[in-house]
Amino acid sequence: MFIRVLTTEFMKLRRSMVPWGTLAGLSMAPLGLALFMWIVREPGRAAQLGLLGTKANLSGLEATGPSYLSTLTIVFGVGGMLLLPFIVAYVFGREYTELTAKNMLALPVGRHWFVFAKLVVAAVWWFALVIAVLAESLVIGLLLGLPGFSAQVAVTAAGNSLVAAGISFLLVPVVAWVTVATRGYMAPLAFAIAGMALGNVFGKTGWAEYFPWSIVPLMIGMVGTPQSLPAGSYVVLGLTFVVGVAATIAQLRFADNAQ
Amino acid sequence: MSSTADSAIATRALTKRYRDVLAVDALNLDVRRGEIYGFLGRNGAGKTTTIRMLLGLIRPTGGEVTVLGQRIGPGETSVFQRIGYLVETATAYPNLTVRENLDIQRRLTGAPTSAIAETIALLRLEPYTDRRAGQLSLGNKQRLALARALLHKPDLLVLDEPANALDPAGIVEVRELLRSLADEGGVTVFMSSHILAEVAHLADRIGIVHDGRLIEESSREDLASKARAFSSEAFSEQERSDAMLTMELERYFLARTGDRAGGGDE
Repeated sequence: MFIRVLTTEFMKLRRSMVPWGTLAGLSMAPLGLALFMWIVREPGRAAQLGLLGTKANLSGLEATGPSYLSTLTIVFGVGGMLLLPFIVAYVFGREYTELTAKNMLALPVGRHWFVFAKLVVAAVWWFALVIAVLAESLVIGLLLGLPGFSAQVAVTAAGNSLVAAGISFLLVPVVAWVTVATRGYMAPLAFAIAGMALGNVFGKTGWAEYFPWSIVPLMIGMVGTPQSLPAGSYVVLGLTFVVGVAATIAQLRFADNAQ
Repeated sequence: MSSTADSAIATRALTKRYRDVLAVDALNLDVRRGEIYGFLGRNGAGKTTTIRMLLGLIRPTGGEVTVLGQRIGPGETSVFQRIGYLVETATAYPNLTVRENLDIQRRLTGAPTSAIAETIALLRLEPYTDRRAGQLSLGNKQRLALARALLHKPDLLVLDEPANALDPAGIVEVRELLRSLADEGGVTVFMSSHILAEVAHLADRIGIVHDGRLIEESSREDLASKARAFSSEAFSEQERSDAMLTMELERYFLARTGDRAGGGDE
């Protein structure tokens, strides 16, 4: 049954412009970062062209391979906290905005299969984006010819980016629950923004390692220097994932599904 | 009360309350297998809420629902293999074509691939097979929703305002289709409407719901006699003659346009 439901969930994306929109959005990030790198490396020419040489210098960026790649990890971490919730909100929320939830929920299919299948669709979508933009970033990095850009640094950064992207995914079942509970896009997106803001606030406290939404910022160096996570952080993330999935299934199974 | 074997839908003291609003009030319904049951009521009478409870989309505050011998509750899915339904507005995935929308339904109900073409033909959707649902007219969206409901050849059809957005020719066509499904296929049809004429032409029995309560239930013939008696008492000869003229004009219009299926598309 799961494969059948999964197939239909992928079919629902046919001709949808949204996946392309997310690709376009995320693929702008390495281009923007490359522009900053170029400005930092060539401030004179950038100033001549009227670009933001002074501001780029003030941002503390260094035009080096390691700096470029570690900033990319932050891009994927932030993407995982904002763009990934958008993807999840779309996959779950479109059933409510397009008024198709009522068609979906009275079928001879357990409602939990829809939750699992939609999360798999979101995961495939998100990791496809991450891999595509990671490849784009590495090509841009090579073309920029930044000092210190080596295969080893690139592999480490790619690994960190994938871990950040993966950890971000553990947070999104809660977004799925907010989406089905509120039956739309606005609340989950507001929730994602609030989660990121709170994550940054908690990231500066001693609770950072155990507050789900500050774990990614902590890991990628959005708050302080990047650090490896204690086992407790992974337990918290795992619990957040399980609670989010269970809450989403319970919402679809036991709550009223009126549109 | 009909026996379980004869009963397609049975509700007992079915109640739904939304805070201060009592949407459905201790509703007892018995729909027999193979009949067409018209569920008539004004807007806001509780028809759609009742239908949503029959389909397990919302949970009753009180009472119980049994459909085709199965209690409807959280986790019940097998009975939906035998139910086709259309709830309120006709909706579909707008980025997918008519065929693709039906293919999703086919995969999830386990219907054979051939069911798609058969249902498209049944609902006269052939010219629109590869058109995106978002580009269909309201009438053809309604046909697509009916096709979705019929695709897996259900034993019970639960239709909420099935004639919505259809033109007069489409209404007659759907009416004939439902009649033949009931007469030839033994399909039970439970259809809601706020238009008496729509159910009066089709239903074997009619239940009238008002303020969430079933206030009357009669066979079509009984209801027709009551209506005739009421009409001759309450309306003048001229008013009745005007009503007859309206009906004759509608029939003339249908005769002139009856070969056309559905409206134009956007």
